Amino acid sequence: MALPPGIKDFSLAGKRALVLGAEHNLGRVAAVTLAEAGGKVMIASQDAGTTDALNEAAKAIMAAGQKKVPIQVQRAALRADLSATADLAVKELGGLDILVTAFDGPFYAPFDNTDDSAYDRVMEDNFKTVWMACQEVGRVILQRGGGSIVNISNVMAERGVPNATLYCAAKGAVRNLVRALALEWARRSVRINMIECGWLDEPGRAETEPGDFNEKLVKYLPYRRLLKPEEIAGALLYLVSPAASFVTGESIAVDGGLLCRV
Amino acid sequence: MILDNFSLEGKVAIITGAGRGLGRAMALRFANCGADIVAASRTLSQLEETAAAVRALGRKCLVKATDVTQSAQVNAMVEAAIAEFGKVDILVNNAGIDPDSLGKRIDQLSDEDWRLGIDTNLTSQFYGARAVIPHMVKAKRGKIINVASGYGLRGGKHIYTYACAKGAILQLTRSLALTYCDDNIQVNCIVPGIFPHNEKMMEFFKGGKFIPIGRAGEDDDVGPLAVFLASEASNHINGELLIIDGGGLAGGITPTGAVPGGKQ
Repeated sequence: MALPPGIKDFSLAGKRALVLGAEHNLGRVAAVTLAEAGGKVMIASQDAGTTDALNEAAKAIMAAGQKKVPIQVQRAALRADLSATADLAVKELGGLDILVTAFDGPFYAPFDNTDDSAYDRVMEDNFKTVWMACQEVGRVILQRGGGSIVNISNVMAERGVPNATLYCAAKGAVRNLVRALALEWARRSVRINMIECGWLDEPGRAETEPGDFNEKLVKYLPYRRLLKPEEIAGALLYLVSPAASFVTGESIAVDGGLLCRV
Repeated sequence: MILDNFSLEGKVAIITGAGRGLGRAMALRFANCGADIVAASRTLSQLEETAAAVRALGRKCLVKATDVTQSAQVNAMVEAAIAEFGKVDILVNNAGIDPDSLGKRIDQLSDEDWRLGIDTNLTSQFYGARAVIPHMVKAKRGKIINVASGYGLRGGKHIYTYACAKGAILQLTRSLALTYCDDNIQVNCIVPGIFPHNEKMMEFFKGGKFIPIGRAGEDDDVGPLAVFLASEASNHINGELLIIDGGGLAGGITPTGAVPGGKQ
């Protein structure tokens, strides 16, 4: 059945998008979503050893209709790697209109046992990557006249969680980076927004694996279930697409109502 | 396909304040995305114009003159929708006013000013939700979209009834959201920034003065956001405030355009 005409503002036909952190489930979902909506997508990871995960993601993107998916797995130190990835995206896609970041590195430990190396790692995995990606990829988006950036984070950007001081601090830093950068680039035609997802249901996510915490948590959640990565697709597409052309510095929680309880 | 999730094909939406401004824009955008519309407001002539535009898009439109401050009329609006279409999938609580009292000093605000501001902007949304919820609970599905304002989150000089009512709408949204998620009803809130609706305001905000992104909102900016919240694409978004203000609420602790530490 043909789509109703009013849906066209959500289409990404003719748009070029780079998804960073595509080795994560949320990154893969983001990339597939953008491709399904008509965008041309490149995926990358700032983590060596993710080639298999990116190849899997590429397959899913091709299933959504894109013929060839450019892939870039980490080859250099963070800044040089992001810079090269941004330039490669422009070359491979013929331009760049959209950046989605899905960096994530969960870390849970008591505050008094958190050492300097944990600080460096958690801040880099969750915040420095986003900050630098906005600079390096933002540079090519600005050069090409503007576009849209969405950083995927989670509800810890808004509230505290015990045993997650660093993780919460890093996610919260993304929230305020989004606000400040949105204002700084507001008149340069780059919109910067964010998604805060709820507690995720995904393989390998230690904190929500079956067990005591999971059991208590699920009972507490308004929907009484964890969030499937696929459920962020609508919010992501709304934010990156022309449908949200008057929206910047905003964050949408995809959490089933969790944040309105706390 | 992700774009299919945004379609409102086969849905019925009640929109209050549908005769002009944001309400009219949402009605037309909903119709353009496949929904049939129940257009409500006090002024029948304006509703007829909206209805003609909806019908020109190939969708049905029921017109229902409604004073949203009167609960009997709000109940009748929902009953008329059910009688005509057999269901209500979406309620957009949009009707509201910038009351005459806007700008009045607190010692000049009469009891009537206060009641008018609260009744029109807040109580109307309570009436709307109360009337529609039983039908949505029965259907085990529904979407309620409450339209608030940036003044629901920030204060303003001499702005009392409007700010109080809009702030309370956020709380109405949250409590409805948590209560009815078991019935597969999502309740969310649109928080529009500056959308000028008269010539004086349009002139004042020309060129996007005071608005980070550099332009004021246009009514149809809100259309796609309302479609998103009315559609299956937002099924895991609940009790959330969706700000659409060109960046206004991202800042606010410096004047727009003023940059500490040198040139932007």
